Amino acid sequence: MNGAITLRQPVERRKQRTLLGDAIRRFRRNALAMIGLLILFFLFFLALFADVIAPFPPDRADFGAVRVLPFTHPTYPLGTDAVGRDYLSRLIYGARTSMTVGLLVPLIGFSVGITLGALAGYLGGMVDFVVQRLVEIFTAVPPLLIALFLLSVTGSGLFNIIFVLSLTAWIEPTRLTRAQFLTVREKEFITSARALGATDGRLILTHVLPNILTPLLVAFTFAVPQAIFAEAGLSFLGLGITEPTASWGKMVGNSVGSTIRVFYHLALFPTILVALTMLGFSFVGDGLQEALDPTRSR
Amino acid sequence: MINFILRRLAAIFLVLLIVSALVFFLMNAVPGGPFSLGERGYTPDALANLERKYGLDKPVWERYLNFLTSALQLDFGSSFSVVGNPPVTTVIARTWPVTLHVGLYTIIVAFGFGFILGLIAAYYRNSIIDNIVTLFATAGTTVPNFIVATWLLLIFGYQIGWGQPNKWIIPPVLGAGNAILSWDYFLPVITYALLPMGLVARYTRASVAEALNADYVRTARAKGLGERGIMLRHVLRNALIPMITVLLPQIPNLLTGSLFIEVAYGINGLGKFFVTSITNKDYPMIMGLVLLIAFFWSLTYLLTDVLYVVIDPRIRVGGRGGAI
Amino acid sequence: MTLRRLAAALLIALCAISVVPLFAQDGNVDVYGRALPADAAPYDMQVWRAICDSTRTEVSFSAVVSVYSRTCLDANISDLFSDSLVVLDENLNLIPAAAESWSVSEDGLTWTFRLQDGLMWDDGTPVTANDYLASYRFMADPANAYDFVWMWQGIIAGWSEAVAGEIAPEEIGMAALDDRTLAVTTEGPAPYLPGTLFFWPPLQAKALAERGPGYLLNPETSVSAGPFKLVEFVPGEYFVLAANENYTGYRKPFLREIRAVYGDQLNGSFLAFQNYDIERVNYTNLSPADFEIIAADPVLSANYRPTFGDFRTDYLLFDTYNPPFNDRRVRLAFAKALDRESIVKNVVGEQFAMPAYSFLAPGFPASDTEGALKGIQEYDCPAAQQLLADAGYPGGAGFPPQELKLRGESEARANWFVAAAASISSCLGVQITVNNMEFSAYMSALLARPTQIQFGAVSYGMDYLDPSNMLGVWVSTGRHSWRNEAFDNLVREANVFVGDPAQRIAMYQDAERILVEDVGGIFLLHRIQGDLFQPYIAGDCFRPDNQGVGAWHWGNDWCWGTFYVTNDVMNYPTYRTR
Repeated sequence: MNGAITLRQPVERRKQRTLLGDAIRRFRRNALAMIGLLILFFLFFLALFADVIAPFPPDRADFGAVRVLPFTHPTYPLGTDAVGRDYLSRLIYGARTSMTVGLLVPLIGFSVGITLGALAGYLGGMVDFVVQRLVEIFTAVPPLLIALFLLSVTGSGLFNIIFVLSLTAWIEPTRLTRAQFLTVREKEFITSARALGATDGRLILTHVLPNILTPLLVAFTFAVPQAIFAEAGLSFLGLGITEPTASWGKMVGNSVGSTIRVFYHLALFPTILVALTMLGFSFVGDGLQEALDPTRSR
Repeated sequence: MINFILRRLAAIFLVLLIVSALVFFLMNAVPGGPFSLGERGYTPDALANLERKYGLDKPVWERYLNFLTSALQLDFGSSFSVVGNPPVTTVIARTWPVTLHVGLYTIIVAFGFGFILGLIAAYYRNSIIDNIVTLFATAGTTVPNFIVATWLLLIFGYQIGWGQPNKWIIPPVLGAGNAILSWDYFLPVITYALLPMGLVARYTRASVAEALNADYVRTARAKGLGERGIMLRHVLRNALIPMITVLLPQIPNLLTGSLFIEVAYGINGLGKFFVTSITNKDYPMIMGLVLLIAFFWSLTYLLTDVLYVVIDPRIRVGGRGGAI
Repeated sequence: MTLRRLAAALLIALCAISVVPLFAQDGNVDVYGRALPADAAPYDMQVWRAICDSTRTEVSFSAVVSVYSRTCLDANISDLFSDSLVVLDENLNLIPAAAESWSVSEDGLTWTFRLQDGLMWDDGTPVTANDYLASYRFMADPANAYDFVWMWQGIIAGWSEAVAGEIAPEEIGMAALDDRTLAVTTEGPAPYLPGTLFFWPPLQAKALAERGPGYLLNPETSVSAGPFKLVEFVPGEYFVLAANENYTGYRKPFLREIRAVYGDQLNGSFLAFQNYDIERVNYTNLSPADFEIIAADPVLSANYRPTFGDFRTDYLLFDTYNPPFNDRRVRLAFAKALDRESIVKNVVGEQFAMPAYSFLAPGFPASDTEGALKGIQEYDCPAAQQLLADAGYPGGAGFPPQELKLRGESEARANWFVAAAASISSCLGVQITVNNMEFSAYMSALLARPTQIQFGAVSYGMDYLDPSNMLGVWVSTGRHSWRNEAFDNLVREANVFVGDPAQRIAMYQDAERILVEDVGGIFLLHRIQGDLFQPYIAGDCFRPDNQGVGAWHWGNDWCWGTFYVTNDVMNYPTYRTR
């Protein structure tokens, strides 16, 4: 008995280590995935250490230097905005707001969505019925209406933004997870695993979830910029981030009409940062997909 | 199958009921009304007159019951915000065809190009082609369409005056009277299609790449099937499930229009009402549109479930016992 | 073909080429048979084009039905189907429009308006005093829930009672003495009454009775006694107005047609303007970037025409009933911490505003033209810091964080207030965030009692040229949560004061001093408004006023009768024929 255990455990550990090790090795060999990771680290770094990196506080307004174009002013390398605030500093501080919203909303949405979708797809029956109806209801109720209602009840704030955006952010992951469960549930390897006595929970964790990773990763990369821009939309109603707090979405949203022809930097730089964020997630996502695919061994 | 669809249709009715109640009470709780409160404040008499005129002097639940009884006869009341106060159904009948028109072209462009781009990217995955597609999809998603629209109008309308000299370039004004095929649709459709095109390309790429990596493709290849045969027979079919899940709802999404596209390009469509009816507190219009959306989307979700079974007959969507 | 015949053909062709323009010039007459001005383009090209906002609620072409929900409001294409009693000239003096004269009884309570002779609806019936009477009764009728009823509450006899449903709308103090004479009775003496009647071109009594106010929206049923008539109307798409050939009033148009298209008025107007698709852009639809382009272009900047407009003042307001703003020292500290000069100079632009130290903009009756009030709220940071310290918040310590709420302002205007907040908070060390709320959410919060807006910003412009209008908004029953009995009494007294006009003005000046000293609001700036016109638009509308400014001034509805397209239009790629 004892011998059997001592024999079995190292084998299993080694096997797990090599699987994970293989994945990490594959991921590290993927140059694009590493670039994506680097981009994300850079943006997180900006967000975390904004007060150290940024040359000025985000709300410092220099009325003597309003709407300075980039690369024309020694003090403000990336120019200033309409109130004379250093744009570089606001971009750095904007990372804080936008990364918070852009990550928290999808994270909440995906946690709720994957759970609900898994329950619905795996258990089916009444659970599936209720989850499906919830999906339909939350698709139909306009978030704008909920936002205006909240504005009158609670006023503005970051929490409200995240709440309103999360109300719809769970729908797509729920549907994706459910669909994958429906397909995977009937595949041969699951049926055989179940026949071998695997429990439901273990099955979900070890066999089903890895298989639904691909579409979820793609969905996540789209959910991030969507949340960042949706934040701006709600902030314009007065629900969300109030001035002078910087946010990329709002900085882009301010640049309507001719602004992009004259003060091009106001829209260009934050758009590049949002695009970088999404690109980072896309590259990492693609890399993860390749790395975690157990059938590949490069 | 028929039984399943009938049950789902009944469920849609339940959803419509819940959604209508939810939205009705929510919109009445939002401050402001379909009328302007003016600049200077108002006397209680003036406010009472306004509320009476717009039928808001009765309690909410009573108004909801009234709405429900007439909605069952497909009478959603008259719009508060459209000049002349036409019935909601008339507004929808007048403006939706225009939006459908733009939406249909957008779907063709977005799905056509997106699918091709995605397939190419997957086939040449991890190559420079793949990266270009990813970059393109990212740009289409993250460059807001109001910026795209401004640039397109600037370049095509203002800078080179492209288009017909006998016609306004900005805005082209697309209404119910426009020709079915007209270059006027070019700019709005390009602007509108960018995001869904990126979405389609990325999902296609991900699903196909995964399927291409899967074991049985190797098996098929080992069996000596031609490359094209592999792509068509196995890969696409397997990649379809997540694509249907995410991309099918893009159809109702695109067919109901967008505020921004319609305002920027002067399109007299339905899409703008999904936002302006809320900001203008056009209660009958809000209700009509929300029910329309709920019905349209629920149908799409039903269609998605049916398509799952068509693609992979082993799937059972009606619960463990199996309704199909 | 012989050479002779060829030469003859060439000659004829040559003549045709040269004669056609000459002929067009000679015969360049409008529908009234008038010759167009010498430099006018052919009549066929006399078309005015505009973009209307496709996101707004629209109810009617007429201010009688709704003031706030008129069609194409920011492009001023409404109220063209009849003429109001009076109108303002370029110096903002009241001049006759549909009324040729008016007079007041000795007790100052009854006004009599005499209509011009020969005013006709285009269905062939005469315009009568009864049309005006029916229109004002329509506005007073509680069933129509008119959105501007406040205008005559407490002014026209019986108006408030009619609005409250206590008496019938027919019982308001208005009567048609005969076809051409309208009498208006006021509750008390109201010297400014004629000025309040200029907004409202009437509906036709007959059509109103037969079809309701909707008759205006359908070209089939629409009748016009104004310069234009409705030809085509597709709601949400476009409408077309044509010169009303049966019009006999005071503003006969040179323009043959007005074409209005629904689209992105706010962000698309300037682009469309640069594409020569529209003739005019109002300053509210021009962004700072647009102005940058205008400033760099001599033609554009020569055709931007500034005006005082409706004497609009942007200001900050408080809930003065509750702490911390119930303390005048706190309010004054905020006022003196606001560096208006710098904000106006750098953030707003000196051509678009002037710093405000009081409510009434220079040029408005009773305004502080000598700068006597300037010292009260003027920027003085050390004094502001001292005041805040005296109030118990030295260096801003312990002062509750404030949210400055805005009323759905455009991005450019929101930035004015972001700058204002930055100025105050950097001087006083007080934390201020700025929240640009949705318009109706803001108004509901502001008008709630007790008010839900502790610290906010808003603007106000005149509805008629009298201090009773502008200062009336500060009376404690108005929209602000600020009360000062001396101010209330002065304004109420002056409103009904008959006698020496100079004395009445002095009363308003005293009242405004109280408003500024008690810091009912912090006045940020007086807007300088304006319009950008195409270089080929001309008209007597641009004749200089007594300040030498030639612009489309507020209330100058007669301008529609003067605009025309000059020959210069041939130099631009523009499409204006049918």
